[in-house]
Amino acid sequence: MDKPVNPHAEKAPPQRAIDQYAPDDALWYKDAVVYQLHIKAFFDSNGDGMGDFPGLIEKLDYVRDLGVNTIWLLPFYPSPQKDDGYDVSDYHNVHPQYGTRNDVRTLVREAHRRGLRVITELVINHTSDQHPWFQAARRAPPGSSKRDFYVWSDTDTKYDQTRIIFTDTETSNWTWDPVAKAFYWHRFFSHQPDLNFDNPKVLKAVIRVMRFWFDMGVDGFRLDAIPYLIERDGTTNENLPETHAVIRQIRAQVDAHYQNRLLLAEANQWPEDVREYFGDGDECHMAYHFPLMPRIYMAIAQEDRHPVVEIMQQTPEIPENAQWAIFLRNHDELTLEMVTSKERDYMYRMYAADPRARINLGIRRRLAPLMENDLERIKLMNSLLLSMPGSPIIYYGDEIGMGDNIFLGDRNGVRTPMQWSPDRNAGFSRADPQRLFLPPIMDAIYGYEAVNVEAQARDPSSLLNWMRRMLAVRKGSKAFGRGRLSFLSPGNRKILAYLREYGDEAILCVANLGRSAQPVELDLARHRGRVPVEMMGRTAFPPIGELPYLLTLPACGFYWFRLATDIEVPSWHAELLASEERPVLVLFDGWTSFFRDRVVPWRMRMAEKLRAQFETDTLPRFIASQRWYAAKGDPIKRAALNDWVLWQPDRSSWLITLLQVETASGQDAYFLPMALAFGDSDDEQVRALAPATLARVRQQSQVGVLADAFADEAFCRALVAAIGAGREVKCAQGRLRFTPTTAYAGLAGDVPGKLPMARPKFQSSNTVVMLGERLFLKGYRRVRIGVNPEFEVGRFLTEVAHFANCVPVAGAIEYVAADGTATSLALLQGQVANQGDGWSYTLDYLERTFDTQLAAATAAPADLHGAYLSLVHTLGTRTAELHKALALRSGDAAFDPEPLQAGDLAGWKQRVHQDALATFALLEQQQAKLPPQAQANARALLDARQQLFDRIEACGMPAGACLKTRYHGDYHLGQVLVSSNDFIIIDFEGEPARPLAERRMKHSPLRDVAGMLRSFDYARWSAVLRDTYTQADRDRIAPLAQGWVREAREIYLRAYDETTRGSGLFASFGEVRGLIALFELEKALYELRYELGNRPTWINVPLQGVLTLCGITPETRTGGAAP
Amino acid sequence: MEKVDIMLEPVRTFLIQIAAFLPKFALAIGVLIVGWLLAKFARFAIVKALRAVNFNVLTERAGLDGFLSQGGIETDTTGIFGLLVYWLVILAALIIGFNGMGLTYVPSLLGEVVRFVPKLAVALLILAFGAYFARFIGNAVLAYCRNINIQDADVLGKLSQYAIMTFVVLIALDQVNVGGDIVRESFLIFLAGVVFALALAFGLGGKDAAAELIDRWWPREKKDDDS
Repeated sequence: MDKPVNPHAEKAPPQRAIDQYAPDDALWYKDAVVYQLHIKAFFDSNGDGMGDFPGLIEKLDYVRDLGVNTIWLLPFYPSPQKDDGYDVSDYHNVHPQYGTRNDVRTLVREAHRRGLRVITELVINHTSDQHPWFQAARRAPPGSSKRDFYVWSDTDTKYDQTRIIFTDTETSNWTWDPVAKAFYWHRFFSHQPDLNFDNPKVLKAVIRVMRFWFDMGVDGFRLDAIPYLIERDGTTNENLPETHAVIRQIRAQVDAHYQNRLLLAEANQWPEDVREYFGDGDECHMAYHFPLMPRIYMAIAQEDRHPVVEIMQQTPEIPENAQWAIFLRNHDELTLEMVTSKERDYMYRMYAADPRARINLGIRRRLAPLMENDLERIKLMNSLLLSMPGSPIIYYGDEIGMGDNIFLGDRNGVRTPMQWSPDRNAGFSRADPQRLFLPPIMDAIYGYEAVNVEAQARDPSSLLNWMRRMLAVRKGSKAFGRGRLSFLSPGNRKILAYLREYGDEAILCVANLGRSAQPVELDLARHRGRVPVEMMGRTAFPPIGELPYLLTLPACGFYWFRLATDIEVPSWHAELLASEERPVLVLFDGWTSFFRDRVVPWRMRMAEKLRAQFETDTLPRFIASQRWYAAKGDPIKRAALNDWVLWQPDRSSWLITLLQVETASGQDAYFLPMALAFGDSDDEQVRALAPATLARVRQQSQVGVLADAFADEAFCRALVAAIGAGREVKCAQGRLRFTPTTAYAGLAGDVPGKLPMARPKFQSSNTVVMLGERLFLKGYRRVRIGVNPEFEVGRFLTEVAHFANCVPVAGAIEYVAADGTATSLALLQGQVANQGDGWSYTLDYLERTFDTQLAAATAAPADLHGAYLSLVHTLGTRTAELHKALALRSGDAAFDPEPLQAGDLAGWKQRVHQDALATFALLEQQQAKLPPQAQANARALLDARQQLFDRIEACGMPAGACLKTRYHGDYHLGQVLVSSNDFIIIDFEGEPARPLAERRMKHSPLRDVAGMLRSFDYARWSAVLRDTYTQADRDRIAPLAQGWVREAREIYLRAYDETTRGSGLFASFGEVRGLIALFELEKALYELRYELGNRPTWINVPLQGVLTLCGITPETRTGGAAP
Repeated sequence: MEKVDIMLEPVRTFLIQIAAFLPKFALAIGVLIVGWLLAKFARFAIVKALRAVNFNVLTERAGLDGFLSQGGIETDTTGIFGLLVYWLVILAALIIGFNGMGLTYVPSLLGEVVRFVPKLAVALLILAFGAYFARFIGNAVLAYCRNINIQDADVLGKLSQYAIMTFVVLIALDQVNVGGDIVRESFLIFLAGVVFALALAFGLGGKDAAAELIDRWWPREKKDDDS
């Protein structure tokens, strides 16, 4: 927050109020996105046909919602309006038709309140000929100070090397004034005499003007026509050193008296000349990059990146505190001064075939007509604007693709009223149409009935909403405003690709300038290993690898990628690493080379060495890079072959190993079968194994690969066949036991040996292989002693309970150690067709709903979530059915339900109590580091200790009989698969962090119910906190989300209650609600500890959950109602 | 009485002799028991030692163990070595035992057998290493011929392996002095037969080529003569 440091603040009390809303950031303009608008054309509040300040104030919310943070107002001073206000006749006032000085004050205050800055025009090169200064000057005697406010001459041939800018209307820079009986100097229209900055009184007067408006709270000035301030004989009278001296004096005044203010130079010059206007950071803060703009158009027209790359390479470095201002269109013509005459001809041909569209040295059209209203090209142009170095300026109306009217004189064609709605006068004014300052656009394509804010705001795919999303994305990264620019030079010249880098952040922008789809190969070697995340949809792309990065872009398509280091590689991605990178092992004798006692006597030493190399180098290197390696970042000392078997079911042979992986922090057992293939005999096999290569191997003249056998189709089939046959294989110490279930035959079909295998997926803790559409082989990697509940429970549900909504289990592979303890190595399941898990399904659903609701003008209907909630009902039913199935009495002691004793409940309470204590300790310890919005909630929770303990104690023993059974153990939306409007419950592994024995214990199944309820809460926050939403969006969707979570909980619990009635799980559902609350609290406390350790920015979600469960209203109370 | 005495005299003498022999016999039995224990230990030690240096892998690779198991022998080559050592020690014990009992001709007979056992062991060793070598050469020839794309690489490989194997078997037989001249001579006859067969095959097969060559050389001289 800014403190009023301005010495004049005492004299200008309103400013203090204003500045409270403007954050203190001297370099704010580096991240600015400017919205340029004309008061008179924006909105008319009083029905006089002319826009005004109160009108703009009314529309400030629209400007803020667009996502810009700065408004640039065209001149609003009293003026004869011969040059659209650039002919000022009174610097200290407001044009009476626009409003009053008080209105300006209000505007600035209101804008600051919305986080918007306001910059305006300081037209100091010239005044109107109606300005009192000029009127006084023409009457004052020659040589007097008043006369010298302007530049006079007796002849019209002085400064004859100076070019004429408005070639269409002016023939000379001198005009005869009959009153003064002399010629006066004007670089623009003859009614705009140039001020004489050689007269110190002029500068003084100008500085007075500037301070007047700064004191009113204006954040900056655009210095109009700044290169022409001073005239010297024998020069072109542009960019003179004396001019720069004047600017430095102005800047010195700004720096001496104000903070966080901006000077923006309008110097339509080549970049090297414009560079001068930054000085050494002591002239203007910003300056327009004029030559870039026509070259963007040229690049699109020529479908070649050259013009843009060339001009950006010619652009000099600018001081650290300076910034370019870039734009596509503005209130003037699309100026072609900064292109060669040939290029100008080309541009005219391409963009202004109609001579009426040309004016001076430029084209007077808006963006949309220039792009022939091709939405894709308009978006492409905007994407370039928003990603090029500099602060982009958006001209009002271009965000909805407004058209122009080239039949209006001068540049008025691009200054027509803003099109708000299809109502009269485009919703701009209630005045009679003939009173409007200019008629609105009315043609069939661009007319206000076709193009207007109201329609586009309601259309989620409109240009307006697209712009909002783009600006929201741009706001997410400082690299756009402040980053370095470096071009890539892919072979395809139609692709413009560049990197914006700021600190560690890197953004890759790729644009297809062509009118057809284009491929491109990008050299991103410098960013190898990073994961490109497409910024609009936040989709992770495959990581950047060894090869050039291949992308295909649709016609006029573009991508912005964040080259992320903190994002997981997409789960479906398989690294096809060139195996040349892998180390080479010399196998002198096939598999047996690793075993000292399996080689001929004179090679025993070699075998020992090879084994050591394998265990201390090859394996650790491979394992450390695998996704399933649990202790990421913990260097592996040795991966010793704990037990192994050379498995040779028929002609092939695989080495199945159990590894003891030793790290600094301990030991873990991993399951790793390995396959060997040699290039000469089996090229295809080598290729298939390449992604899972452990090492390259050489045996005499043969080279090949040693790879993870799960990538070997024959191996996976052999496993399936062995399970079917119920084999046992003797290992060096223990044995491998292959067990089929009764469902095997039905699932595997007649020829399991012929099922085609899909490429294996290497997931976080296991590897999954799909065989045909029938089987699903899941190999555990990190193995723990004991039977995995997933097999045990899955088998029970398949064979005993015949529960239909789980994945049927076909068999398993276990390792039986010498002492008889079994360890699960792999699980064979039936494949179930599905539409993804419940978590992503829910998030997609919420996102879609929120997006639609954000764009909709009407309030959400009452049964908004009807279809989704019927799914939740099914989910509740399925959960209940699962629990009923698990409560089946079969005589198996591991599954038979037990009655709930009072002692159990006391134990659980005790545990939650201890969890709470641990959580409090952790929270206290980290409280200072929490994000600000979580601080209040954390404090509230710490204060409510006793309340929490009371809640735990309040949970009483249900009066009726309750059962303890086996249960899912880690139940949430991610553990159910959506399958044609039904759910398949998966993953009975239980909470991975707990030991197997604990996971196999019986407990109240209501714990699953509580887990699912918490999952709803998480889904809601994940959807609301997406970074594509603005805070305003979030405020709007928060109640929607809360409604959703409330309804989902209610329906889920109701369905669960209905289905469990009479099942004997508990006497009545009402009695056990307290238990659910207890388990929910336990889960929320667990989440809280987890987030504290891993994702502090998410801490608020479980915090609010815990608070709500304690009956306390959290800070931003949107948490779900406690059951 | 005296008659009885005279009649009993031989019995007495016999009994005295038996009395004198019994300690020797007991000693011999003792020696034998110790020898048997020793033999067991020696067998255990030698089998362990051979396995420790992966001798079993060598014979397995050489195909010797496979050969044995095909012949219905349950143990492998290492086991046979163990057995040989076992019997060597047993035999040695027997010799000592018999010597102790003064039965000199039995030890000399056994001595022959004992002297034969080391030869058998050496022959076995030759067989083991030779067979491994033969297999190695066979594989090397096979790999080489494959690499230079000779069609009958398999046949050539096997041929070289068996040729070496033949020599190895002969050397082994020589070592144990079995057959001696007969084997040697029949081998020579066999080799001569093979060489002759090859010569014949090349001669007949290359008849035309040879004729062409001769044609090329001879007519010129004839022409020279003519001119």
